[in-house]
Amino acid sequence: MKKLLMSAAAALGLAGAGAQAGEDLTLQLKWVTQAQFAGYYVALEKGFYEEEGLDVTIKPGGPDIAPTQVLAGGGADVVIDWMPSALAAREKGLPLVNIAQPFKRSGMMLTCRADTGIKSPADFPGKTLGVWFFGNEYPFLSWMSQLGIPTDGSEGGVTVLKQGFNVDPLLQGQADCISTMTYNEYWQVIDAGIAPEDLVTFKYEDQGVATLEDGLYVLEDRLSDPAFEDQLVRFVRASMKGWKWAEENPDEAAMIVLEYDETGAQTEKHQKRMMGEIAKLTAGSDGTLDPADYQRTVDILLAGGSDPVITKEPEGAWTHAITDKALK
Amino acid sequence: MIWLLSGALFWAAAFAVNVAVARSRHSARRWARVFVPALFGITILVVWECLVRGLGISPVLLPAPSAIAARFASSGEILWQDFVQTAVKGALSGYVIGCAAAFLTAILVDRRDFLRRGLLPVGNFVAALPIVGIAPILVKWYGFGWESKAAVVVVMVFFPMLINTVSGLGETSAMQRDLMRTYAAGYWTTLLKLRLPAAMPFVFNGLKISTTLALIGAIVAEYFGSPIYGMGFRIQSEAGRLSMDMVWAEIAVAALAGSVFYGAVALMERIVTFWHPSQRSQR
Repeated sequence: MKKLLMSAAAALGLAGAGAQAGEDLTLQLKWVTQAQFAGYYVALEKGFYEEEGLDVTIKPGGPDIAPTQVLAGGGADVVIDWMPSALAAREKGLPLVNIAQPFKRSGMMLTCRADTGIKSPADFPGKTLGVWFFGNEYPFLSWMSQLGIPTDGSEGGVTVLKQGFNVDPLLQGQADCISTMTYNEYWQVIDAGIAPEDLVTFKYEDQGVATLEDGLYVLEDRLSDPAFEDQLVRFVRASMKGWKWAEENPDEAAMIVLEYDETGAQTEKHQKRMMGEIAKLTAGSDGTLDPADYQRTVDILLAGGSDPVITKEPEGAWTHAITDKALK
Repeated sequence: MIWLLSGALFWAAAFAVNVAVARSRHSARRWARVFVPALFGITILVVWECLVRGLGISPVLLPAPSAIAARFASSGEILWQDFVQTAVKGALSGYVIGCAAAFLTAILVDRRDFLRRGLLPVGNFVAALPIVGIAPILVKWYGFGWESKAAVVVVMVFFPMLINTVSGLGETSAMQRDLMRTYAAGYWTTLLKLRLPAAMPFVFNGLKISTTLALIGAIVAEYFGSPIYGMGFRIQSEAGRLSMDMVWAEIAVAALAGSVFYGAVALMERIVTFWHPSQRSQR
């Protein structure tokens, strides 16, 4: 009798385990595990991907990991990237296509110390500005180009510093201004002890030079495979469900992200704050790319003067095919 | 397909030519010794080009040598600016400061035994610190400019140079030192006329090792903070923009700079240590 019960339990257990296997899909994040990607972690944790029959692997990014290169090398099926970088890659010969745009607004800012005397962008010439590179410099270069401020060190221009992924240049006085995100580096500056009154912040949205940020991108030739397209439809549906859940439950979403953080470097306070700020950026988007937003980004990038990020209007850089099916 | 075939054909032909020259009676001549490696190098480039074109490899992953050469030719000014920033201001200044400091420390260490027993283990430890660990710290201390890169280079070249010089100073035999004593030579005269010249092969060994370390240190240190020029900066940011042809062009500049630097030190070694058995040329 006992043996019978044991073997029955074992059989049930195996059956349960077998149901886990779904279709594999790999997502490459743009940066390290943090609330910036909460929607995807929520979808993973809450079983939204599993419900759609997907077995999703989320690969965190980091310094020196370019999502576009990972996609080119076949290390991921879908990547998260910012639109300027994706369009530049497309022009370079890597045919990225935007399949969804969860982030409606840009969180990019330039934060300056008030004691540098900077009150408006007109005060920039002659100052030292910190800029991220590795694909994140495009919005800044576009902005400077539009203001007519040279960045190559010539007369009447700004000195550009390659900022690492921390806020030290501002804290140590090596730069007058640094690039920050509303949800991350800005708070690192505040946490370091500088009062908000001692800072002057320029939001790219307010300056009219904001470009679209975190979007989902795949390689164009894979879209012609109906099986893969179906996987993407289910992936986007589950991911957007995750994002909306995260927007409504920011604190729980932050805790989920912390659970998945393998480095142990993130803190609860920072992640909860980040989730609150990220929710402001994703609010209003159901995942569909708004063509007007896309055009605005393209126009800003093309207006780059002598050194534009892209030289011609991109074609076929985005598609509604996935979001139409996912969200109908 | 035709590209792959041509590549294979070229490789086979060049291989045959090289084997023939290496086996011929001219193999010891200078022209043969230059020709064989040169042909090998050219073959690698040709096969690379044929593979990239034949297999249709994306330029985002691996550019063809022709694309790299084109980029190299068109970006002369940027490459020169980067070279000056990294190799001259960063690597060279760090190299000079580091090697000079190590040399003087070696002379001090040689004089006082307790310094040898104290400094060498500490130096050993400092040399073992990975530069990806100390570079961000030095950038914090010395700022984003070339000074922090020079500091990284100093830390990297100090210990090898120190060890080599200390070994070199111990190279003289008791008989030679006794001879100097019979000439009533004091410490400084013995040092300058006997021990330092005898130490030169070791000193140059240290200098040659330090040339490679200096360039590596300067480039890697730039990954952790730099103005918007410099070889390390350019490699990293162009890789982020998927401009792999520019990355390879910078690599080519770095390889050239390193070889020239090493060659210059090796030439000086030839002149200074002409008396050493290792400098005897082959017939």
